[in-house]
Amino acid sequence: MDLRVPSGSFFTLIGLILLGMGAFAPHMGAAPLTTENVNLYSGAAMLVFGLFLLLMAWRAAHRGTGSNP
Amino acid sequence: MKLASVDYVILALYFAFVLGIGWRLRKRISSSGDFLTSGRSVPVWITSLAFVAANLGAVELVGMAGSGAKYGIMTAHFYWLGAIPAMLFMGIFMMPFYYGSKARSVPEYLKMRFDEKTRAFNAFSFAIMTIFSSGISMYALGLLLHLVLGWSFDMSVLASAAIVLAYTFLGGLTSAIYNEVLQFLLIVMGFAPLAILSVNKAGGWQGIVARLPPNMTHAWRYMGSPTDNPMGVEIFAMVAGLGFVLSFGYWCTNFLVVQRAMAADSMSAARRTPLIGTLPKMFLPFIVILPGIAALVLSKMNLGYAFPLKATGGPDYDKVLTTLMAQFYPAGLLGVGLTGLMASFMSGMAGNVTAFNTVFTYDIYQSYIRPGAPDRHYLTVGRVTTVVGVLLSIGAAYLCTLFNNIMDLLQLVFGVVNAPLFATFLLGMFWKRTTAHGAFAGLSIGTAAAILTLSTTVAEGNGGWIVQLHTFPSQMAQNFWIAIVAFTTNFVISIAVSMFTTPRTDKDMEGLVYGLTKVPHDATAKWYQRPAPLTVIVVILLLILNIWFR
Repeated sequence: MDLRVPSGSFFTLIGLILLGMGAFAPHMGAAPLTTENVNLYSGAAMLVFGLFLLLMAWRAAHRGTGSNP
Repeated sequence: MKLASVDYVILALYFAFVLGIGWRLRKRISSSGDFLTSGRSVPVWITSLAFVAANLGAVELVGMAGSGAKYGIMTAHFYWLGAIPAMLFMGIFMMPFYYGSKARSVPEYLKMRFDEKTRAFNAFSFAIMTIFSSGISMYALGLLLHLVLGWSFDMSVLASAAIVLAYTFLGGLTSAIYNEVLQFLLIVMGFAPLAILSVNKAGGWQGIVARLPPNMTHAWRYMGSPTDNPMGVEIFAMVAGLGFVLSFGYWCTNFLVVQRAMAADSMSAARRTPLIGTLPKMFLPFIVILPGIAALVLSKMNLGYAFPLKATGGPDYDKVLTTLMAQFYPAGLLGVGLTGLMASFMSGMAGNVTAFNTVFTYDIYQSYIRPGAPDRHYLTVGRVTTVVGVLLSIGAAYLCTLFNNIMDLLQLVFGVVNAPLFATFLLGMFWKRTTAHGAFAGLSIGTAAAILTLSTTVAEGNGGWIVQLHTFPSQMAQNFWIAIVAFTTNFVISIAVSMFTTPRTDKDMEGLVYGLTKVPHDATAKWYQRPAPLTVIVVILLLILNIWFR
């Protein structure tokens, strides 16, 4: 099992959830000291990170040099 | 703090992934080696992150934010002065002996290098310590979730323990290591936004410097005298006690972390594990300590953030992290942060349990209870020990609820056990004249010296049970000086006794001692895969950080 697949999928999913929160419910459960839409920014960062891990795993699998048994 | 349904979805999703990883890895287990030592087959980027993650338990995460608020940027010495140099030393100088000796655990290395009695001493004290550490971690988390979210203590403790048990039972060490990496990434992703938001709100680093007394924002400048800095420590105790004895003792000899490096797939990868691990480790203070310092500033800024207080009135440093989360995280990100907190607890607990089952199975059961059984038998014992380890940890967690101050006491005991150890390894690995009797005498008398120091000195009401010969300005100072005394005693006694006892022949010690071990030179390795260039990069970055925050 290539660990990048489950980690990448996890962060992609969490990223999508946060992006959704940021885009469609920006004021739900807002925090007292935060004015920025942090769900949107953090969600985007996590989505990019998740997709990056998946891309790395995909490249390794296609080269046949998967680093994991 | 109140959670929204999206937060629960994120938490549930995380548990599903953690259990899924354990389920997928269950097929890889066919021998006790697969279960307890990962069959030495884990890729290096994974062992490196696990090496750092195994130490990043909930107690550390909550504690570092609290220490940030209490001691300021000096807290970073646990990383920049303590952990990083020790990790470099471990990778460059010590790993060749651990990995090359083919020992399956740190106590087993002691058996190969010295004899049974030193191994037994280390195996038993380590086994007991892992159980209590994981119990403390569980207790701390249960208490936190109860206070912050109103969850039931029993439910929090039992549910988290059940999940850790499920994935370590299914996939053994590999499963623990894989999950530690996922946990590490989640902790970074979940807490980096908190650091950014809280520091920004406090006016950036410049704003923090302007609003706090200068000894909170300088790591080195106020260490001339213990009364000048919030930690109550002078430079010698800091460098010798924390920077040398305690950190090297922990990072170079504690099987919990060493085990992660030993799971690597080659000698070269095992050596690189702590070296690569230093890179994320070096920047962790920005995520775990800075929010604590920012919290102190925010509480002085009339923003509506009040510093958490205990029922008795004093500052409650353990609540710094969670009160910040409540102030800065909206629904969604709050779920990620809370999941990160639970993840950190689980990585601390799984790390302890997987180290415990290996030491118990190989160093206690196979050595003293039933040697010579087929491997299948030890695999079963390993699995049963995993269950027993989790149950004992739960017991230790409830023991903490019975006695108010047991946590402080245990923390002191860990210090006492850990303090003299590094001298034994240093002499054992680098001075081939060290004898088995010398090592054992040094270790036992060194431990006794640590206990004696604790019983005759007092700091913040701790210790001094026999007489109170000396009062330290802080518990930190007491810890550091106990370590210095224990190490020196062990070092001197080991050398003295070794001079009067017969050493082993060189042939017996091949692969175990410096000078009698061939460290393979991998000519095909690219420059960034060799220890030397990697170390140079780390040292330069480390100097920059220390000078920047001097």
